Amino acid sequence: MLLGIDVGGTYTDAVVVSGGKVLAQAKAPTTHDDLLHGILDALDRVLAGVDAAGIRRVALSTTIVTNAVVEGRLERAGLLLLPGPGMDISSLVPERPWLLSGYIDHRGRETAPPDEAEVAVACRGLADCEVFAVAGKFAVRNPAHEQAVAAWLRRYAAPAHITLGSAVAGSLNFWRRANSAYYNAATWRHFGRFARAAQAAVAGRGVTAPLYILKADGGTMPLTTAGERPVEAVFTGPAASVLGIMALAAPRGEAVSLDIGGTTTDIALWRDGAPLFAERGAKIGDYPTAVRSFWLRSIGVGGDSFVRREGGRIAVGPERRGPAMALGGPVPTVSDAMIVAGAADFGDKDKAGEAMRLTAADGESVQDTARAVLGAAADAIYAAIENMIDERAAEPVYRVEDAVRDRRPQPAALVGVGGAAEGLAPLVAERLGVCCTVPAGAMVANAVGAAVARPTIEVTLRADTAQGYYTVAELGLRSALPSRRFGLADARELAARHLAERAAAAGIPVADVESVYDEEFNLVRGFSTTGKIIACRLQIKPGVFAVEEGA
Amino acid sequence: MAVKPFGLVFFPAFDWALTPTHPEREERLLYTRDQIVEEGLLDMPGIREYKPRLATLRDADRVHIGVPDIASHITDAHLVSAGGAITAAEAVIKGEVARAFALVRPPGHHAMRVVHGTRGFCTINIEAVMVEHLRRHHGVRRVAIVDTDVHHGDGTQDIFYHDPDTLFISFHQDGRTLYPGSGFTDEAGSPPAIGATINLPLPPGTTDEGLHYVLDNLILPVLEDFRPDIVINSAGQDNHYSDPLANMAITAQGYASLAAKLKADVAVLEGGYSIEDALPYVNTGIILAMAGLDYSRVVEPDIAAAPRGLTGGARAYLRELVAKQTALWRDREPLGNAAAAKAGDFWTRRRGIYYDDSGISEQQVEKLRLCPHCHGYLTVASEAEGHRCGYQSAFAAVVPREPCPTCRQGAKDAVLAAKRQGKYRHYIIQDKENDSLERV
Repeated sequence: MLLGIDVGGTYTDAVVVSGGKVLAQAKAPTTHDDLLHGILDALDRVLAGVDAAGIRRVALSTTIVTNAVVEGRLERAGLLLLPGPGMDISSLVPERPWLLSGYIDHRGRETAPPDEAEVAVACRGLADCEVFAVAGKFAVRNPAHEQAVAAWLRRYAAPAHITLGSAVAGSLNFWRRANSAYYNAATWRHFGRFARAAQAAVAGRGVTAPLYILKADGGTMPLTTAGERPVEAVFTGPAASVLGIMALAAPRGEAVSLDIGGTTTDIALWRDGAPLFAERGAKIGDYPTAVRSFWLRSIGVGGDSFVRREGGRIAVGPERRGPAMALGGPVPTVSDAMIVAGAADFGDKDKAGEAMRLTAADGESVQDTARAVLGAAADAIYAAIENMIDERAAEPVYRVEDAVRDRRPQPAALVGVGGAAEGLAPLVAERLGVCCTVPAGAMVANAVGAAVARPTIEVTLRADTAQGYYTVAELGLRSALPSRRFGLADARELAARHLAERAAAAGIPVADVESVYDEEFNLVRGFSTTGKIIACRLQIKPGVFAVEEGA
Repeated sequence: MAVKPFGLVFFPAFDWALTPTHPEREERLLYTRDQIVEEGLLDMPGIREYKPRLATLRDADRVHIGVPDIASHITDAHLVSAGGAITAAEAVIKGEVARAFALVRPPGHHAMRVVHGTRGFCTINIEAVMVEHLRRHHGVRRVAIVDTDVHHGDGTQDIFYHDPDTLFISFHQDGRTLYPGSGFTDEAGSPPAIGATINLPLPPGTTDEGLHYVLDNLILPVLEDFRPDIVINSAGQDNHYSDPLANMAITAQGYASLAAKLKADVAVLEGGYSIEDALPYVNTGIILAMAGLDYSRVVEPDIAAAPRGLTGGARAYLRELVAKQTALWRDREPLGNAAAAKAGDFWTRRRGIYYDDSGISEQQVEKLRLCPHCHGYLTVASEAEGHRCGYQSAFAAVVPREPCPTCRQGAKDAVLAAKRQGKYRHYIIQDKENDSLERV
């Protein structure tokens, strides 16, 4: 049995999944001042009729890291950058950085060494910091400088934790890695405290299974690994819902999914049963990071969205002023319209009718008003989807073949989950001219997603045969190539070995390895080929343990 | 921030090469990509990246006379590269961005009006295709093109040689020492357009100081005086001190401050073959400078290797050059009148053009009608021989923008008369007014 817990804005959901079926589900109010309280409440309720000893894994999708960022509960992290020559990003990072000498160029060669004395000075300036982030330009091509600075930090300060930029992400983008490293260090202690408390509390319920944390890219990581990489746990809520959809009704071909909750609708685009990723990484606050995540858009339309007329036209959201009037709320909502239109059946129907009467234009029937409200909500979601598709179509391309074979994505199906999906998803599908699925289990899709999310991990290998070395950024590794005759196939094989190593260290089983990216260039100097630059990234495919349809 | 963003079209054409070991190959913008992605430039709030569109054959036909046709000389890569330039320019014209840089390949500034093959790595002239697209679809008229590539922009010069509405200024390493061997001060435009072509041959080894002397004392004042609707920078990066194909001494800082002063509306990448040691830094510097961001920290790791200063002889030469070209600009009207009077009704030029990449030699006779009412029609008789094409020939006439009835008819009559004589294989009328390329 797999146990999944999703901490949402209003409710914390818990489900137990086994043999592809949802065996138990429970809800408890989310306790914002102490998330653990609500988590344990939901856990107790879901375990009521279940043998806790039979749980093989507990996976948690939590807003703990996101909240720490949003609420500014970050620990001040000392930020040390080795920017080399280039753009000055000092004013573009969340904390005033210490700039250090030392430069690695684009081929991973040292062109200027780092300076120990500068680090000593920085440590005196950062005497009040206990956590540090170190990021160097092109450190993913050669992490030696970052590692040297970390060693000096240990000599001149007493760091509780150091995050290296090259260890947070293997891809190019110094600015994003610097931001990621900073947030990782700044949330490290807070997350660690929560993780230990969660582990102890779950154990206290007689669950001996290991605890996993969901990542923004839909994978899970064991709590032990997560403690070192908390930044990957930002934005797990929407990732959980996407995985829930993958488990309950993965759409084929090109598709759109909607998670229509109380306040917002999260939109994802899909291709061949997999959701699309944000090309470069997620944004935390105003800062772009290298945290891999699904490509999602959230708009302020949901069941509890405040409905009124503005200049004669119906306006929906983005504000939420409380639950539906049918549930005793103060103002008309989308849910009230759904009840009147017969698309939902809960609460006090008369109150829902009253809500529509308050919204109706002169002489308009409450049914017509309800339909108009749902239409306006569907229009807003539809417009956001079109906007996402346009943006995707405008993604730059770097190869002639891709520029010529240009095509706008065209979704052929729509899947809706979440509390308000029944009422709205079909209307959106109608505007797109595609068929609509709202799977059973849609109400707890997020918790199901957390429960069945498979662990995932990735490695980026880059080989430079002219210089005879390769790096695996995520492992902080730089070593000699086994031979000078080294091609893309060899690179993939070597990367697979390191992926297996990294997975083993993290306690993750290796299955379903996929290549997410590769590149091979001849190095030509003068008029002859002197070597190759090869890059490839392998990952254990994010995905789900199977859940039967109709579970 | 209410400031408009900077537009970037980055198209490294990672799957296209002239030949596997040619300088113009897949690897060329690889390190530039690495650098700008690593810097985080593409994520900067003030920088908007655009996807290149595909230019059409009609866009190319508006500029070129392909023999037998343009389609048989180009690949999709050329249409993406020219399309990238158009995308960048349109983003500026539509007001979406303040300025834009099309960092694209393959390049285009050696491609002339008539195209028999590839010369200087260029097959179609991507700036010219962009300019004529802007004229046709966006009502742009007065255009200034500043060619900062180390090689003379002979193709761009050729295409606009008779057009007084296009100011073409090219500085480059002296043609006596470098391909394509042209770009001397006496190439100044045909009679109706004298002074609209300004060449600045620079001595090998010219440093930032020398370049900025020419920029400050000639290029910027002439631009100011010309009052163009749009300023285009044909932005080759091969004046860099590390470039393997040339012998100049410009640094990334020199290029970046040039871009900052020039304030071009659109820059289009041309050459630059120091793919590891120069392009990553020069391109980063230019992007930052054009975007109005701080570029002062962009310095090559091996900057100590850059030659500095300027010799006394070079300084005197540059002073003289600037004085001479300033006089050309100042006296362009009387000079034009005198040249027209000397030529009579038709201005004629005979020349040989060599296609180094295709191994083709072309002989061309151009005749421009010196018309008091319009820019005058042009005829080009072209014969080419080379190992790939065997023998090719064509006779073409160009009807100018806003032609007078006499020139419109004259162009047509000239082609029909040539066809009756039957000396050539192809007979073509390129009509700039009706935007058509007709085979007769």
